[in-house]
Amino acid sequence: MYLQKALTKSIRTDFIVEMVQMVSGLLLVLFLWTHMVFVASILLGQSSFGALAGFMDKYELLPVTVVVLIFIFAAHIGAIMRHLPARWAEQKVAWRHAKMIRHKDTWSWLFQIVTGFGILLFAFIHIVAVTYGGISVSLSKGRIDNPGFLIFYAILLLMSEYHASVGLYRIFVKWGFVNRHRLDRVLGVVTLLMLVIGFVTLGVFLTLKVAGGGVA
Amino acid sequence: MNSYDITTTDVLVVGAGLAGERAAVAAAEAGHNVIILSLIPPRRSHSSAAQGGMQASLGNAAMGKGDNPDVHMYDTVKGSDWGCEQDVARMFVETAPIAVREMAHWGVPWSRVRNEKRMYEGTEIVEDPEKVGLINARNFGGTAKWRTCYTSDGAGHTLLYAMDSIVIKLGITVHDRMEAIELIHDGERCYGVVARSLRDGELHVYIAKTTVIATGGFGRLYAASTNAIINDGGGVAMALNSGVVPLGNMEAIQFHPTGMVPSWILITEGARGEGGHLLDKDGYRFMPDYEPKYKELASRDVVSRRIMQHIRAGHGVESPYGPHVWLDIRHLGEHRINTYLREISTIARTFAGIDPVKELIPVRPTQHYTMGGIRTNKDGKVYGLDNLFSLGESACWDLHGFNRLGGNSLAETVVAGRIVGKKIAEYTNDATLEVKSNLIQEHVNKVSARMDAIRARGKNGENWVDIRKEMQMTLELDVGIFRTGEHLQHAVSKLSDLYERAQNVGLMGGGGQGADPELVNAMRLPGMLKLALTIARGALERKESRGSHFREDYPKRDDENWLKRTLAYWPEGAKLPELKYESITITEIPPGDRGYGESSGKK
Amino acid sequence: MSPRELTFHIFRYDPETPEVKPHTQTFKIPEEPAMTLFVALNKIRDEQDPTLKFDFVCRASICGSCGMLINGKASLACKTLTKDLPSDITLFPLPAFKLLGDLSVDTGTWFRDMSVRTESWIHTDKVFDETAQEEKMDDDLSLEIYEAERCIECGCCVGVCATANIRPNFIGATGINRVSRFMLDPRDKRDEQEYFEVVGNDDGIFGCVGLMACDDSCPIGVPLRGQLAYVRRKMAVAGWHRK
Repeated sequence: MYLQKALTKSIRTDFIVEMVQMVSGLLLVLFLWTHMVFVASILLGQSSFGALAGFMDKYELLPVTVVVLIFIFAAHIGAIMRHLPARWAEQKVAWRHAKMIRHKDTWSWLFQIVTGFGILLFAFIHIVAVTYGGISVSLSKGRIDNPGFLIFYAILLLMSEYHASVGLYRIFVKWGFVNRHRLDRVLGVVTLLMLVIGFVTLGVFLTLKVAGGGVA
Repeated sequence: MNSYDITTTDVLVVGAGLAGERAAVAAAEAGHNVIILSLIPPRRSHSSAAQGGMQASLGNAAMGKGDNPDVHMYDTVKGSDWGCEQDVARMFVETAPIAVREMAHWGVPWSRVRNEKRMYEGTEIVEDPEKVGLINARNFGGTAKWRTCYTSDGAGHTLLYAMDSIVIKLGITVHDRMEAIELIHDGERCYGVVARSLRDGELHVYIAKTTVIATGGFGRLYAASTNAIINDGGGVAMALNSGVVPLGNMEAIQFHPTGMVPSWILITEGARGEGGHLLDKDGYRFMPDYEPKYKELASRDVVSRRIMQHIRAGHGVESPYGPHVWLDIRHLGEHRINTYLREISTIARTFAGIDPVKELIPVRPTQHYTMGGIRTNKDGKVYGLDNLFSLGESACWDLHGFNRLGGNSLAETVVAGRIVGKKIAEYTNDATLEVKSNLIQEHVNKVSARMDAIRARGKNGENWVDIRKEMQMTLELDVGIFRTGEHLQHAVSKLSDLYERAQNVGLMGGGGQGADPELVNAMRLPGMLKLALTIARGALERKESRGSHFREDYPKRDDENWLKRTLAYWPEGAKLPELKYESITITEIPPGDRGYGESSGKK
Repeated sequence: MSPRELTFHIFRYDPETPEVKPHTQTFKIPEEPAMTLFVALNKIRDEQDPTLKFDFVCRASICGSCGMLINGKASLACKTLTKDLPSDITLFPLPAFKLLGDLSVDTGTWFRDMSVRTESWIHTDKVFDETAQEEKMDDDLSLEIYEAERCIECGCCVGVCATANIRPNFIGATGINRVSRFMLDPRDKRDEQEYFEVVGNDDGIFGCVGLMACDDSCPIGVPLRGQLAYVRRKMAVAGWHRK
């Protein structure tokens, strides 16, 4: 027994943090997919997208979403940090280890760390843009027309779908209700579907003639 | 002058297999400080490789109904070909049921009697509903009842893990990768051992009130053995080196009928116990012709000889590794094979690329067990030195005589551990801790001098690899299942030459610093040759056939002249072991017919 | 057909001589029929370099001594046949354990420590009664316990575990499997809260990030993922109930 351990009142901390990680992760996946569907509403026509944007506007859902999202993001990152190879020496061990054992899931964990940090940065930029700009077809169209932003969104899309897919896979694997390799395939298909929707959406925006003309 | 650490304790146990650990537990429960030394982490001990099970006359299984210690006793004595100590066997059979239940109490997940019918060799077995859930038993060789308690085919593994869990629970100190090399003694009393760390090569001295040797057998003296590679008889050789401790019945070597060709990994007797058959090159089941009553399940010495006899008659399957026969378990069905013979089906698949559900397994009799060892009295106290005990396969407590029954070795470890362990605890109560520094120094110097000499000879010395190979082949070819005076004489002179050469062993690789494995092996070599010589000489002198010791030139058991036990001594500086004999304790069953084998079955 | 020549690249390092840096040494031997790495390594040691350190005991995949990285994959050397490998074979010792030299690692100390920390023994107040019949148990349950108890402590699952390589106190899949073995066993009287104290933390089940290298590596096929998930669910319930 060590002093600091003896002084620790609750030994539930690790359990609670683990649950926070899982629940926040699930919420983020839920958000991501909902977000994808919302954005994809452009596929049904500009009026659908506009109606959803209007709905968000009317009930002032945008700021609420942003605040909640930041909170969940923070919780997820906070919870996950405890498992990460945080120190430089640990990072080196982790990468060398993955190379040594040539194990797919171990590599995917390292990619998840990389995409996690990527998402953190990219999503921050995206959120700032949306928060200050608001949501409308023309705003989106305007950003997509910028090649820099187009690449930016393509990368964000890839990173978040990958991260979500691997994260979900891990939750199922850890709690163990499904066959691992079948699960791998199912999630692969779902992710591919989401990516297709995402890229088609980007494509639609790119070729879109905004009703009312002009770029805001 | 060499530096070394000194550790003192009440009881020092050399060897962390089942027997050593059980004795350690008994001593620790009695309040003694115990240290266990082991070449390897305890759970890797060869006890873990025992697959089949342990005999105890619980009589729970339908086919074991009516079993009791008397029946077990009779089977054991017959199996030993009247070579065992009957007072020891009596204690053993009475204690075995207690020991098996105690192991259940400590966590062994014994296979239990199931509430389902089963076909066995054409008969339907219906279990007693009252007994469902109690510890089950399977059929084993040379037994009148189904008596072998088992955990699928990992009995040794689960016993060892449960035993080690108690060692951990009691906080018993284990120093693994620590090789005991030399007994510290003055010709009358043992004070402990000089050991060498296999981590860094440093010498350590352990001083104890009571020292216990439980280092297992020495099958690796043979070229083809089912044994783990650590089973080279280190502890037994250490006792013999004292010059005053005798080894009993070293010529009694067991050959297991079913070692898998060519890796010589054991295929458990449980495979035949579950109903497996032996087939020859024509796919013919030959055992019923030789042993109409027991068939594949006569005692191991008999089945091994019958297989070799059948092969000699030209019915063996030719292979690059010599002729063999087949083990057939296909008719047991996939479920039973993959549940209760799981480890061996994995072994067959991995090492021979054979699926025993569909294919035959190539097998041949292979060295498996050493009935002989450090001679002790029935309390486990070693002959010749005070404060020294031995038990398990390393000892000749003499439960097995000239042939051990399958399932009696695992049982011996925990039963002897219980009985001898208690005696060790009592003995230690009255013992004092004595340290004579000049005696310690003398023995440390002896060990250091040996190491220094090997290092000094370096590449000019003999290569241990060559000598070991020649020794193994000599025993394999000349001191095998069928023995003759001519071959045994050849073995003795060949091994004597090798023993001389082993005195000049050197190092072919590095300088023997630290934990250099070559020095470790070179140090062991002379002791192994001494043991090989006690086997060969004992076999040469014993002019009769008894149990596993079969002389083609003396094919009959000779109770008039040879109802006695060989004791092999190795006086300081001698070139050959000195043999003496002692009488065998017969308390209840006078020598008679075994009911199987050459004297009873077909010639 | 002439036999293949096998080229071994073997990790060499002796902690006793740290001035000689870790390196790989190359050995060539002709392949033999049914050759295992046990046979090959002994051949190399007997004929080419008697100082090479490695551990074998049973050579029959029972004792768990010879876990190592074989072309990156953790397995038992004794049960690995050379015919299943390419002719270039790279051998490294298992990571995460203390290196004793070359391919030899100290799994013994690690496992003993794990057994002590998980209190791997039957906890009961009952005193053994020599005269009593054993308690009954259903054979299916004993088979289930044996399934978890089949672990041979080879350390492959620990060696490949990224978490175990970074966090020395993590008990690994083998430790969690060990706990599940006792949870299943009605003879062990510990309740869920007592198990939670042993394993309901980041050194135990909640330290597992689910990479499943353990599940992909167990050389004797203990269903580690199932055992990990079983303990995780049990411990989640225990954590939920905990005051």
